[in-house]
Amino acid sequence: MDNFEKHIRDHAAQFNERRADKDKMWAKISEELHQEKPKVIPLWKRPVFRVAASVLLLLGIASFFGLAVLNNNANKTQYASKELMEIDMYYKDLVSYQVQLVKNNQSLSEENKAEFLSFMDELDAEYEVLKKEMQKNLDNERVLEAIVGNYKKRIELIDNLLHQLNESKKPNEDDYGYTL
Amino acid sequence: METDIRFTHKAIVEQCKAGNSNSQYELYSCYVDAMYNVGFRFLGNAEDTEDIVQDSFVDAFKNLDNFKYESSFGSWLKRIVINKSINHLKAKRIPVVPMEAHEFHLTDDEPVEAEATDINKVKKGIALLPDGYREIINLYLIEGYDHVEIGEILGISTSTSKSQYHRAKKKLLEIINEL
Repeated sequence: MDNFEKHIRDHAAQFNERRADKDKMWAKISEELHQEKPKVIPLWKRPVFRVAASVLLLLGIASFFGLAVLNNNANKTQYASKELMEIDMYYKDLVSYQVQLVKNNQSLSEENKAEFLSFMDELDAEYEVLKKEMQKNLDNERVLEAIVGNYKKRIELIDNLLHQLNESKKPNEDDYGYTL
Repeated sequence: METDIRFTHKAIVEQCKAGNSNSQYELYSCYVDAMYNVGFRFLGNAEDTEDIVQDSFVDAFKNLDNFKYESSFGSWLKRIVINKSINHLKAKRIPVVPMEAHEFHLTDDEPVEAEATDINKVKKGIALLPDGYREIINLYLIEGYDHVEIGEILGISTSTSKSQYHRAKKKLLEIINEL
């Protein structure tokens, strides 16, 4: 540092020749400081909030994992029952269609119809039992097989009945057979 | 001695931290003129200077918890004023260094030696300096920062600060000699 620099630094105070408009500036400063005055205590600094936050967090984590596990299970259930539902729908449609055929068949006497339908009701009852069993043991293949078996039995019954009917009618109404 | 300076006004500062507005006014009264002069040297007009100094005091009082006596309160506050002033100049696109900071050194930036000069002449000379020269002269000669600190304030390297200062000083001496 040369003399020029040293001299200026030593007399730096002499550069402070201006005077501020002290009161005018303070008025603005204090105005700004007081605007902020309602000193907000941040919520997260309150102990009660901390406890509440912890509890919420724990609940959040618990429900997150809980939901994830439940969802997983639900997915499996949904998948199994979706498959089951498809099978169920398929056979239900088939059976109801054929039952309707029997009911509408004019060549059958009311007695025969009632007898046949009572078989169906029995099978219906068995089906309901199986369905309940199914809800208890979702992945029980034997129950599933039994349900399918139940449906198959109905179809077979109807099939046989209609077949017999058609056999007896054949000589008279040749073109009736196309229905089945 | 060093530690004594850092704890100047400690009692008042502590009361300000607690939010006592009388202490805030007391502290303000101690420093407002000095800060006004610092700001004026950079900004060159009363209006901008008042705005910047007011802003600096508001910021200082709001952030007083961050002041940990690592320096004196005065130099902490002065740094706020200077940073705000420099930012203000940058926002107005007024250059704060003589030339775009060059990484290489130009041949004419060797230190120039000069003798003690009349302070009034120096004041006039500084007033006549072009934009970009005044800031670094102020920071080094009057505010008394070293090149490391100036580098931080202006966002340039230490060596750039040195070379730009020598360039500005040379210019200042030329102006003074012509007075």
